[in-house]
Amino acid sequence: MNAGKLDLPKTVGVWNRPDSPRLINSKNIFKYMNGAGELYLGYRFRHLEVFDYTSPDQGNILVELYFMESPDDAFGLLSLDWGGEPVSFDGTPDATSKKSFTASTRALYGGGLMRLWSDYIYARIMAERETPASKEVVLALGKSIAANTQNPSEPVLVKKLPPEVGAAWKLRVDRLSFFRSHLVLNSIYYLSHENILDFDLSTEAVSAPYERIPGSEDPKRSQFLLVQYENLDRARQALNHFHDAYLPELKKEITADSASLFKLEDGWLAYRLLGKYIAIVFECPDPESARAILQKNESNLLKKGGGS
Amino acid sequence: MKDKMPVITRRDFIRGTIGVTLGASVFGFQWPKGEASAAGSSLVTIVRDKNAMDSAKNIDITVLEKMLAETLTKVTGQKNTKDAWLSLVKPTDVIGLVPTDHLNPTHDEVMHVVKNSLMGSGIPEDRIRDAQGSRNAKKCDALIAIPGLKAHWLTGIGTVLKNYIMYSGSPSNYHKSNSSKLGEIWNLPFVKGKTKLVLVDSLYPLCDKGPQPDPRYQWNYNGFIAGTDPVAVETVCLKIITEKRKVIRGEPWPLSPPPICVEAADKVYGLGTSRMEQIQIQHYGWEHELLL
Repeated sequence: MNAGKLDLPKTVGVWNRPDSPRLINSKNIFKYMNGAGELYLGYRFRHLEVFDYTSPDQGNILVELYFMESPDDAFGLLSLDWGGEPVSFDGTPDATSKKSFTASTRALYGGGLMRLWSDYIYARIMAERETPASKEVVLALGKSIAANTQNPSEPVLVKKLPPEVGAAWKLRVDRLSFFRSHLVLNSIYYLSHENILDFDLSTEAVSAPYERIPGSEDPKRSQFLLVQYENLDRARQALNHFHDAYLPELKKEITADSASLFKLEDGWLAYRLLGKYIAIVFECPDPESARAILQKNESNLLKKGGGS
Repeated sequence: MKDKMPVITRRDFIRGTIGVTLGASVFGFQWPKGEASAAGSSLVTIVRDKNAMDSAKNIDITVLEKMLAETLTKVTGQKNTKDAWLSLVKPTDVIGLVPTDHLNPTHDEVMHVVKNSLMGSGIPEDRIRDAQGSRNAKKCDALIAIPGLKAHWLTGIGTVLKNYIMYSGSPSNYHKSNSSKLGEIWNLPFVKGKTKLVLVDSLYPLCDKGPQPDPRYQWNYNGFIAGTDPVAVETVCLKIITEKRKVIRGEPWPLSPPPICVEAADKVYGLGTSRMEQIQIQHYGWEHELLL
């Protein structure tokens, strides 16, 4: 797939693009991004097409089309920041959808930048100068990119997270991220500069905070992490690695029967090996909360066909 | 032996043991603790003017010139710009200006006023050069680091210490866990001791990680942050970015990953102080959202 098939307009308003894009692949992405290509290579990246829409006197508009191996990877890139104004592809605020937040949000706009997820594509469209005219063009380009593409659902793993745990905890879906790399995890919730959970491109992970529902005694937030590996052996190996690196002074208790709980400096940590999945919750105020968050996630996972 | 090396984790930051774990993980168990500096008070100045850059990002050169002059006299304690420069560099020095050239790059206008100010102080134009790039510091007697203020998705902050990454000849060796070692670049033989001034272009900072700029996280700070202690300047930059993030989210929003290179530059490489209580901050001009 390329921009020709996407039918990006040659001219929009006073902005014009060249006939061909700059093509960036996994070998030259570091040159293009001055060393920051790890973000995209942390997902399953195919290639990047870059178009510069130029204007005589209203600044340029940069269009970056990241072609990924799967819609999940494209979703993952958008999921790193749910901030900005949700926009539907007809250019109106997207406030009417009854789907979940992460399923319904396909494009976000703010400050001259639109980020969107459309099928296998993650796109960034950025106006050098934000004006009413440039915003209109950015939205129009977003619509062109989204036109004639599929709207697959969010990654399966994302749907496994229960939105609430009992009456006390609510998932912050606006802080939910999907990823495959420890570098990306660290940009969301820092664990270690080392890859202590054995992430690679075959793993899938989702992380989000659970927050005390208003009315609870304090606004505590606990970070939940669910990682899916290729098989049970890899999951078990990763959990061993995690324990050795993160909890080196504490006795290891990895069993298939129950969660392991640890009192740490910032609260309670609990982990559980669930077949080919690892579930970990950080910074819980008490062991009961940690256990409840893990148990609810486990039952949701099993209910939706996971755990094998 | 390698398997037994301590791994830096979130828990080190919570416990306040990052320096110890960092030293052991960077150098093994032979961490040269004796080389860590016990820096005295370091002065960092912040000079701001609300008219330096407007909302359309147009820069007023005249305002920048005044801000630079005030920065130089306050940092050096000299009476005028010429004396200030000549207390930092010699007219015979080859002076390398080291801007940031990517992600929130140093503004051309800032480079222009610095170069003009040096020339106005008697430094010949042919002795002033752009020293960003792998080998360029070797040809210089003095360096003026002029990075743009920004966060970074791999190192937490990517302003002062990261500005010399190209001098390493292998920048990818300083990403990921090795970002803690950015300070060692400042101790390379052809770099060590040459930095006479750190002048951070904080006209339009970036407070979230990138790797590409997102305008929602940029704002008009309209300032210069400067000093002669690179770690102290970086620490103040870090404070400003952290405070801005808190303002944006309305709650603490710590940089992630944490910028371990800053503490390492102090406690492992002895480049200056990262302890706020050892930094004397002087600010002048525009007070709005100072973030300190």
